[in-house]
Amino acid sequence: MGEGILTTEPMVQVLDEEGVVVDPALEPDLPADFLWRAFEGMLTVRAVDERMLMLQRQGRIAFYGAATGQEAAIVGSGLALEPQDWVFPALREVGVALLRGYSLQDLAHQLFGTRDDILKGRQMPCHYSDRRVRHVAWSSCVGNQVPQAVGTAMAARYMGDPVVVMAYLGDGATSEGDFHVAMNFAAVFRAPVVFFCQNNHWAISVPVSRQTASKTIAVKAVAYGMEGIRVDGNDLLAVYQVTRRAVEKARSGGGPTLIEAFTYRIGAHSTSDDPSRYRDPEEVERWRRRDPIERFRRYLIRKGLWDADREQALVRSIRDNLMTAIQTAESTPPPPIESLFEDVYATPPWHLREQQAMLEAYRRDKALWMDP
Amino acid sequence: MAFEFRLPDIGEGMVEAEIVRWFVQEGDSIQEDQPMVELMTDKANVVIPSPRKGVVLKRFGREGEVVKVGSVLVVIGEPGEVPVAAETGVEAAVPASATREVSAPTPGVGPVAPPGRVLATPATRRLARELGVDLRQVSPTGPHGRVTKDDVLRFVEAQRAPAAPAPPPPVEAPVVPVGPEERIPLRGLRRVIARRMVQSKRTAPHFTYVEEVDMTELVRWREQMKPVAEAQGVRLTYLPFIIKAVVIGLKRFPIINASLDEEKEEIVLKKYYHIGIAVQTDQGLTVPVIHDADKRSLLDLAREVERLSKAAREGRLALHEVRGSTFTITSLGKLGGLLATPIINYPEVAILGVHKIEPRPVVRNGEIVVRSMMNVSLSFDHRVVDGAVGAEFTQVVREHLENPHLLFLQM
Repeated sequence: MGEGILTTEPMVQVLDEEGVVVDPALEPDLPADFLWRAFEGMLTVRAVDERMLMLQRQGRIAFYGAATGQEAAIVGSGLALEPQDWVFPALREVGVALLRGYSLQDLAHQLFGTRDDILKGRQMPCHYSDRRVRHVAWSSCVGNQVPQAVGTAMAARYMGDPVVVMAYLGDGATSEGDFHVAMNFAAVFRAPVVFFCQNNHWAISVPVSRQTASKTIAVKAVAYGMEGIRVDGNDLLAVYQVTRRAVEKARSGGGPTLIEAFTYRIGAHSTSDDPSRYRDPEEVERWRRRDPIERFRRYLIRKGLWDADREQALVRSIRDNLMTAIQTAESTPPPPIESLFEDVYATPPWHLREQQAMLEAYRRDKALWMDP
Repeated sequence: MAFEFRLPDIGEGMVEAEIVRWFVQEGDSIQEDQPMVELMTDKANVVIPSPRKGVVLKRFGREGEVVKVGSVLVVIGEPGEVPVAAETGVEAAVPASATREVSAPTPGVGPVAPPGRVLATPATRRLARELGVDLRQVSPTGPHGRVTKDDVLRFVEAQRAPAAPAPPPPVEAPVVPVGPEERIPLRGLRRVIARRMVQSKRTAPHFTYVEEVDMTELVRWREQMKPVAEAQGVRLTYLPFIIKAVVIGLKRFPIINASLDEEKEEIVLKKYYHIGIAVQTDQGLTVPVIHDADKRSLLDLAREVERLSKAAREGRLALHEVRGSTFTITSLGKLGGLLATPIINYPEVAILGVHKIEPRPVVRNGEIVVRSMMNVSLSFDHRVVDGAVGAEFTQVVREHLENPHLLFLQM
């Protein structure tokens, strides 16, 4: 149901499902260390997802949205960015932040909403944000980040900053008015922005066939007067190549690009969702066989760069770091309750002062009070 | 020290979940992340893994029971350890027979805030401040004892006028059994049926129309066709003929193959003919759907009826096989009775109930003769279907069942 006609449309591919290079002209010439960094990035996303889903079911974190199956789209596109670039993510792109200096400890503090969380425990889990790595908070509303990204890109162009803005969105967001507004502005004003649409086939329970009557999402770019390109989202090298080109073009004044990464959400939309109620398990199985990590591993093997011990050590070190980060976060207290009153008004108005006084009275003498 | 695992809110704003299956027994050793129990929430079936390694000292709740978020589900400890706070779970787990609590608080009957603390929104506080009202003196009617703007205004009003006697609090009749009773939890399919029926009856004003149909001719036809169908491995019942006649009627009266979109205030005429067939199973009533009944031959319909009824009884119906019907037929077979008032399979607007075929004396050309007669009872949603339209539709169905050769015209 999720596929249909869409798979037959051409898309950029460097590696086939066996990890064999199908287009040598497109294969990037990247050093072994870079390829291993990409591999590590994907393994990290998967390890984090597996662990956090477990913690959510154990009631230790409140919510989680995994990116299983989309690791190549996330890591491949993230690697194409420079440190000065800004990222406006959707739900599943923390892997990009992790490549750019956001640590597993930062991530764990955010999910547990601790005192050491950069966001002071005020955001829903998985709604990461960190100014240091230019990763902007996602509002959870579908597609809102897209015009925000364009505005930032237009500002950068106006200021003469050599900054590229990356706007991540899903196939569902392309049905939102925000998407059209953003695309139009970006093209008209030649904003240095890259729209990276992860077409994972499902917007919670709505299949992509209900999002658009177009043959692809990439083709939508044509009407706005920008380049649209469809890429195999489970092929890390293809994603990297296509994104790299789009980012460089944007930086050199060539304007925006819409990239459609053709991929698949293997798991549930989030921990509040049960895809077995609306999705054919055979479809999921078909996509499991196109696993992006396995494909990239096969490529490394073919290149003679893979090493079982090295991968094992890498996985172990990711897991150890993750466990330490979780333990630390779990034993860190929540933010102080007074922080509830901070950061909205420069001078707190009377009703907030009154509430704060009530809160203090409550904490002094709990016996007089009752929870609603 | 024993660790009490309390049911977490694993959805968004979940309040309770039903225990589907336990994977661990009391006394079992358990590893971290090992599956403990499968739960069913409003949205999903989820497996809860253990947050730590140890021994299952105690388990709370039986399969089929509903447990509240925050109640103890499992106590995990060391071998030989005795759970200390074991009782908390028993209290928290809701026995299957108990009524579910309504989660929305009823205004005015929620707990009243103790002295010293007044719950009110900033807008209400501002109003009180402007009117010089001490919020602590206002009796609240909002949820959780919250003082509302109206409460403040009423308070000011009451200060001016002599106090009227307060209305007596609503009295809830306690349920006291007057004899031996058994309570069966409303679960699974039964619960779904209960909800659907209430929704249909509350939403759609039903009217029922009963007619008798002379099936003599069709009985004869079917007798002739039966062996031919059997040779092809198909059991030919009357249902395929009835479906055919119904589809002809629906095509003649599109308003009956419809639903009402209340929100948009539009009647939706369906251009497809998916016929639901009510099937009694051990778990209760199920309605598998024959898709595109108008495009199928009698044999094909018979085959599909047989396949779907079997799947329904074995509980193997896929989601798409119970969805999307535009009209439903319910047949009680030999239990057919004389007449019934079928409940519409909402949001459809009509349902056909079929009774048994039996020899009955009827008058033909001024003489009493014995014919094979069958009654049909049809209910319609009167918001969409007028009495005359429902009656005419029924007559078209009757005409085609009494004169099966007319079916040829529609082939």
